[in-house]
Amino acid sequence: MLVRGSTKEKTDTKTRPQTSLATPWNVIVHDDPVTLMTYVTKVLMQVFGYGIDKAKKLMMEVHKTGRSIVWTGAREQAEMYAQKLQAHHLLTTLEVVDA
Amino acid sequence: MWVARVDEGFVFGDLTAATVDTLKGVPMLIESADTRVRDRLLPETCDSADAEEQWRRHAVPELERLFLSRAQLVRRDLAGLRLMPKSKNQLLLILDAHANAWLAALNAARLALYELNDLTAESMEPEAFGLALPKQQEAILRIHLLAEFQSVLLGDLEIESSGSFDDFVVE
Repeated sequence: MLVRGSTKEKTDTKTRPQTSLATPWNVIVHDDPVTLMTYVTKVLMQVFGYGIDKAKKLMMEVHKTGRSIVWTGAREQAEMYAQKLQAHHLLTTLEVVDA
Repeated sequence: MWVARVDEGFVFGDLTAATVDTLKGVPMLIESADTRVRDRLLPETCDSADAEEQWRRHAVPELERLFLSRAQLVRRDLAGLRLMPKSKNQLLLILDAHANAWLAALNAARLALYELNDLTAESMEPEAFGLALPKQQEAILRIHLLAEFQSVLLGDLEIESSGSFDDFVVE
């Protein structure tokens, strides 16, 4: 899990701009020619708690189009998910959702 | 190679010297300092320099620690390889409790082999095998071999348990 300033003192003195907290972030998984499709499905189920149908659908999107937005939401949670996906070696990036 | 299910996990038997050699390479590949491997296992993640800098500062050190601890777990399990009766081949037990760590470690090793041998998506296609250099062919075979271990741990094969590992009889 990411360690960020969480004490009251720190949040009072240095916080990210409100816009960056409010703007949703996409968690994107990219295709690679090595990782097994069943492994991608299992990791998506494990990390997000998705059912097998949703996880398979996202995995197939990665496989066919080269990438899939697997989750969208608050930055800190997006970072946590990206870290978990990278812990399993899924090729994962983060992007700010365009306003 | 054969696989059996026991209450504690999976038993991989009749592992040849080449297979054992490939497995023993797994922790070393995870720990590789080669920039191609590091760039794949710890890829550029964010779409802005500021966010990437924060990612590198906060997330990457934790991932590095995790990868190292997985490499150590795999190495410890491999230290438990035992010779099969009347054979030079070996037997390995992977506990269910270690299966997730093994799955990720095997994936990392496969990705590292891919990067270190300058393979491409095209060179992974079966029809391109003959066009690859001998060193690349060896890497592709190792990548596929490690995938077989992953498939077993993923439960792609349904195998009934033979009971406890302590009572497991190797014929």
